[in-house]
Formats: sequence, structure tokens, C-alpha cells
Amino acid sequence: MTDATPLLEARQVFKGFFGNPVLKGVDIALRPGRVHALLGENGAGKSTLINLLSGALQPDSGAILVDGRPAGRFSPAAARAAGIAVVQQELSLTADLSIAENIGLGAFPRRFGLIDYAALHRGVREVCDLVGLIEPLDMPVADLALGRRQMVEIAKALYRKPRVLILDEPTSSLSAHEAGILAGLIGTLRDRGTALLYISHRLNEVQALCSHVTVLKDGGVTADQSLDGIDGEGLVRLMVGRKTGDLFPPRPAPSAGALRISVEGFSAGLVRNIGFSARAGEIVGIGGLVGQGQEDLLLGLYGAIPAGAGKAEVCGKPGLPAHVGAANAAGIVYVPADRKHEGLVLPHSIASNLILPSLGRLARGGLRDRAAETGLIADLARRLTIKGDVARPVQALSGGNQQKVALAKWLPLDPAVLLLNDPTRGVDIETKREIYLMLRAFAAEGRLVILASSDTPELVHLCDRVVILREGEVAARLSGDAITEEAIVGAAMGIDRKGAAA
Amino acid sequence: MNAVRSLFRNPPLLTFVLVALVWLVASLTLHGFGAYGHLRYLLELAAVIGIVAAGQTLVILMGGIDLSVGAVITVTAILLPLLSPAWDPTGLAGIVLALAIATGIGVLNGAGAAYLRVPPIIMTLAMATFLQGLLVIVAGGSAVTVSNPAVILLGQARPFGIPAGVILWVVVSAAVLLLIHRMPIGARFLALGANPLAARLSGVSVTRNTLILYALSGFFAGLAGILVLGMNRQGYVGIGDPYLLTSIAAVVLGGTSILGGRGTYAGTIPGAILLVTTTALITVVNASPGWRSIMFGTLILALLLVSGREARR
Repeated sequence: MTDATPLLEARQVFKGFFGNPVLKGVDIALRPGRVHALLGENGAGKSTLINLLSGALQPDSGAILVDGRPAGRFSPAAARAAGIAVVQQELSLTADLSIAENIGLGAFPRRFGLIDYAALHRGVREVCDLVGLIEPLDMPVADLALGRRQMVEIAKALYRKPRVLILDEPTSSLSAHEAGILAGLIGTLRDRGTALLYISHRLNEVQALCSHVTVLKDGGVTADQSLDGIDGEGLVRLMVGRKTGDLFPPRPAPSAGALRISVEGFSAGLVRNIGFSARAGEIVGIGGLVGQGQEDLLLGLYGAIPAGAGKAEVCGKPGLPAHVGAANAAGIVYVPADRKHEGLVLPHSIASNLILPSLGRLARGGLRDRAAETGLIADLARRLTIKGDVARPVQALSGGNQQKVALAKWLPLDPAVLLLNDPTRGVDIETKREIYLMLRAFAAEGRLVILASSDTPELVHLCDRVVILREGEVAARLSGDAITEEAIVGAAMGIDRKGAAA
Repeated sequence: MNAVRSLFRNPPLLTFVLVALVWLVASLTLHGFGAYGHLRYLLELAAVIGIVAAGQTLVILMGGIDLSVGAVITVTAILLPLLSPAWDPTGLAGIVLALAIATGIGVLNGAGAAYLRVPPIIMTLAMATFLQGLLVIVAGGSAVTVSNPAVILLGQARPFGIPAGVILWVVVSAAVLLLIHRMPIGARFLALGANPLAARLSGVSVTRNTLILYALSGFFAGLAGILVLGMNRQGYVGIGDPYLLTSIAAVVLGGTSILGGRGTYAGTIPGAILLVTTTALITVVNASPGWRSIMFGTLILALLLVSGREARR
């Protein structure tokens, strides 16, 4: 433990997007020679904090300090100049360039204005030896496996000889051997006096590598302490635990109806060979860490990506919907998580977005029935309290209202099954409450609601049953009182807990 | 001032006003430009571009492009005289056959784009190249003269003094405007053009609509080919070439976004007229034909900048 001046520090930083606060007064100090863990659930604000620390975003208020001095306008260039390097979760490599070119990108040694490949290869060889990359340096990155690419990514960060190294889930695609090399490397860097920030959902790694932890929860810091004497369960407890208020509608007694979806041996995208069933009148939650197959499960059931199942019955018919049109015809609708790119036609008007799935049904004699369309649009806007002129482009609406449009457009189809992918992401609290009430009402009307969510309280307080996915497989099925934040987070992270395997 | 601003926000109207201004000024200053016969001739020329551009407008609205329209025109113009059966005194059988071939070529374009996922610009370019090669083999270098009575009627007749081609254009315009603005499929094209992923997840079939779209583009190009043949009375290799870029230019001049998702055929109509008017002006003032191309390029850029339509995205 060292008491030297923090190399990089954030003091009371606030950051919001479109009026939704994401960080609410966060402090964090990265000291030389210390591996600092940053923990928090999905959506707690970790990514935003990293973006502030690396200059990719500017805080709304608060300060970023480098070597104890406030950095004025902290741009990515200023961050690089200050010796801050980030290993991103999403690989930022260019597939067609070679290993050496990727590592040197943006900092190529020059000679007579041309890239000095000899010097580049010398410098790159050095960092590649550190991370155990033995492949030829002129090999295109496209030819590397995902784990090796991650090592290139780490080498790229090291090439700039950083004083502060931020690692955002660096081991998610690494093999055990590669993770071991990384662990050794982290030790070496720490001993050299580099300040490290380590973000991971693998709590055993955090315990093995880190000496200090900051826990984020809903944009605030709930813990900033040494890791001495804290075990895995202790870490989970630090990440959970908060009042939920009256955000959620009361949960009625379970009254599941007819079987609407029943699949066995279901595979789609990341999802491998799972069994899943749900009944009318239920809200079934799909949980897990980001990208464990939740979206592919929904898309597979929706017929939007190729899917297969040993046995399947959906809405009373055998087999999975072959395409989106078939799913719609069977009464299955889907609300995507990324409403801007997948849910809405942003430049088009609110009215055209609301009418899009109903165009065919409202036509008479091959022509659109304008009167019927106007009536339907007005009715939808009223029912979902979408305010203002429906001729405005939908991109002019706030996130919450956009989400309402993405949901409302399906109501005229009288759907039997609603597949919702993180419907409250980036939505203000008031609209969240409205959406929760709506989902409860859907279930009471005998519809089946399947809700994939990265928001744990939502799963706990809204859902009748919860299925946790981990690496494309079912990690836990919870129902009734067994649905707790601890059980969900524990199952998502692969920590065995009693009651998790109900 | 508000009227001027809303004019700039409405590209079809802007293009239309521009055409009206050019016609007015040219008629007053240039001898012979404003004669009824001359203006009628301009419309007749514009009709061909307008009909090709009808299909092109639809394709561009959906975010694609059809580079095979010129080749399809040539194919229709050369094959129709060869295909018109002698037993049919009306000539309609030959027309139906030629249109079916043109539509079929469009379907192939659509199938390549929809099933093989070939980018439309590549698919239609390859199709155009392929067709041109095929025509050289089939027709050789010689021109084919048409004797099909229906085609000659279409190219030469002037009921009530109005060229039949212009009447055909009016019919095509009505149908395309109806399709874009009053039929469900038009709204689907626009949604697919603006955000194909969101449209697909909203239950809009990409495959089906792509096929329909390129089939329509092939059909309209075939229709234009028949009209050109009737006006020229001869088909030859290269007869359709001038209509490829002019059809795209007419669409863009009319304010339809080349990126898809926004626009209307109502803009393409004055766009087509503006193009032939520019050509006519150059001819009347006896300037080098090089100026025509320079004017086209300048016009397209100027209109885009004035309305700022691409920048607002």
C-alpha cells in the first residue's frame, strides 16, 4: 500500500445522458503500484466512469485530476499524453492490419515521413514478449483467435508505456493460460509503479489480483476500501443492497395459464441447447451478465436469427417461427434493446413508426385507409401518453418516449407473447414506472411477457419467474421468494449458492 | 421570407419552381424556346427519363441503386423487334413479352441482392455488363428496325396534340405516386430505406420487398425501352446508355435522399424535366455539349446545398 499522490483521480464527477443521471458524484483515485478493482452491476456506471477517466467523455461537473492537478479539458489526446491507456472490452483492432501495425497505430515511428517498420517491429517485439505473443508480427489480426486478439489489444496499450492502465474485462475472451500470463504481467506492472484499474465480473480474479476496490451502484460509490479480508460473498453483498421504493407494481398471486412457449434443446446464436417454457399471464425474466445469450434467446424465439430446437411448441403450433412475419402472425412481438438502431426508424415521424406493423391490416382494397390510420395513431398516443405532434420525427423524443413508441406500435396486433429486451435501459424513472405498470397489465390480460433485463431489481420485483443465463446455458431458474438480488448476481457470476438451483 | 424558407425545405417544389423559372426566362429571351412544339418535344424527351427514374426512385428510396436500367432499355429495344410474333397484328404480344423479360431481369437483380446479399450497386453493375455482352453476341453491331404497330403508335401518336409517351408518363406517375404514398408497400420501402434492421424487426420482409422493388425497376426500364424504340424506330446497342445516369440525376434533383428512406417521385418528375431543359438550353445557345455535363453536375450540387437535405441527416 502506497500513499503517493494518485496518478489519476476523479473527484465528485457527475455525468448524465439525455437527462438520466448515470454517475452521481463519484470519487476514485488510482495510485501508483496498486491494482484497483472497479465492481458494479450492469448499468451501474462503470463504462461511463472509464470513459471519463480516459477522456472519451467530459464530466457534467466534478474534476479529473492528473498527478494531483486538475486537468482542464480532458480529451483522449490529453489522456494519452498523461500516460493513460485503456484496454477496451470491445476489441478496437483493425482486422486487416498486421499485429505490428495495430499495436503501433496512432504512434508509428516515422522516418522521412514514412513508417519506420524496423523501429516499429523492435518496439512491438518488446511488448509482445511481455504478453507472450509469439506470432509473426506481420500477421494480419484477422487470422488470430479472439483470445490472441485480446493479447494484441493489451500489447497495444503497453506499447505506449502507460503510467495508468485501465483494463475493462480483459479476461472475458482469454484462455486460462493467457489469463495466467496477464496476471503475471499485472504483477510486473504493479511492481514497476504503474497504477492499474481492473474491471471484471470474475470475482476470484479480483480477489487474486487486486488490493483495493471501488463498488459502483446506481451511479454512486457504495464502497471504497481495501480488499483485505473480504470474500466472494462479501463482494456480492457490496454490489447489491438498496431500497427499491414503490417503483414496481404489486405482484399478484401467481395464476399461470395455458402453455404459450415450450422449447427443448433450443439453440440460437450464443444459446446452446437449453430448455425453456412459459405460460400465459406470466412475466418471465431473463437475467445474466451482458451478452450471455439473452438477446439470442429472444431473437431465436422471434424468428429473427436462425434457431433450432429438439422439440418446440410456440403459441399452440409445433416448431419455431421461421421468420419475423410468421412470429408476428402467431402473435409474438419483439421490442429490441437498442431502440435507436433496431426498434425505430429514427428520421421518420412518430405516426409512421406507430403504424409500421399495422400497415397491411389497415389497408382496404390495396390502398391505405388514412382515416383508420389516424384514428389508431391517436388512440395509441393517448393510451401511452405520448405527448405532442405525431408528425414530428421520432428522434426528437426523449429516450423514455421513444421506448413507448417502440412498445406501442405492437399493441394493435393484440400480441399473445411480448419479447422485451431491456425495455427500461436509458429510460427515466417515471417512464420506467409506466412501463412496469403496463407489463403487469399485459400479464393480467393473459399475455405472456418475457423480459430480458440487465437491471436486477427489475427481475426481482417485477418477474414471476427468472431464468439466469451464463455462457449460453441456464445457470439458474428462480421463482417466488427464491428470486433475490443475491441469488441472481451469484448465479450470473457463477458462484454456487443454496437455493439457486430450484 | 417564411414562404421562401419552406420552399427550400420542400425539394420537389423547389425543383418545380426552378423548372418554371428556366422555362419562363428562356421563352422570353431565346427565340423558339417557348414554342408549343418545342416545349412538347422537351416533355416527350423527359417522359423517357421520367419513366426510367420511376423505378430508380423506388429503388433509391429503399436505399439501393439500379445501375442496370440503361442495359435493360437496350435489351428491350433490341429484343422487342426480334420477339414480336408475326401472327399478332396488334403488336401487344411482343410488348408483353419484352416487359416480362425486363421484369425478369429486375427479379434477378433483386434475388442477387436479397438472397446472395450482393450489394445492389455491384449486382446491378454486373447485370448491366452481362447484358451488354449478351447483346453484342445476339444483335451484333447492326441496328434493328421496329415494325410492331403498337410500339410505333406509342412513339409517334399524338392524340389531341399530346404525345402518347407523355400520356404514358402521366399514367406511370399516377401509379408510382399512389404506390409510394397511398399503398402499404410504399411506407415499407421508406422504412426499409431509413432503417432496414428496425423495419425487419417490425415484421417488414426485406427479401419480399427487395424482389418487388427491383422487379418494378426492371419493368419501368423496359417500358422506357419500348418508348425509346417507338420514338427512334430503331434499336441498337448503346441506345439505353444515356438514361442510366440521367435517371439517377433526376431522382437526386428531385430531393430524394441517395441514402434512402426519404423522398418522393413528385420530385423526380420536375427533376427529369429540368435535365432535358438544361440540354435544350445548351443546344439552343449553340454551346459545346461539354457544358451540358458541367451544368448537370453543378445543378445537382447546388440544389443539394441550397436545401441542405443531406447535411440534416
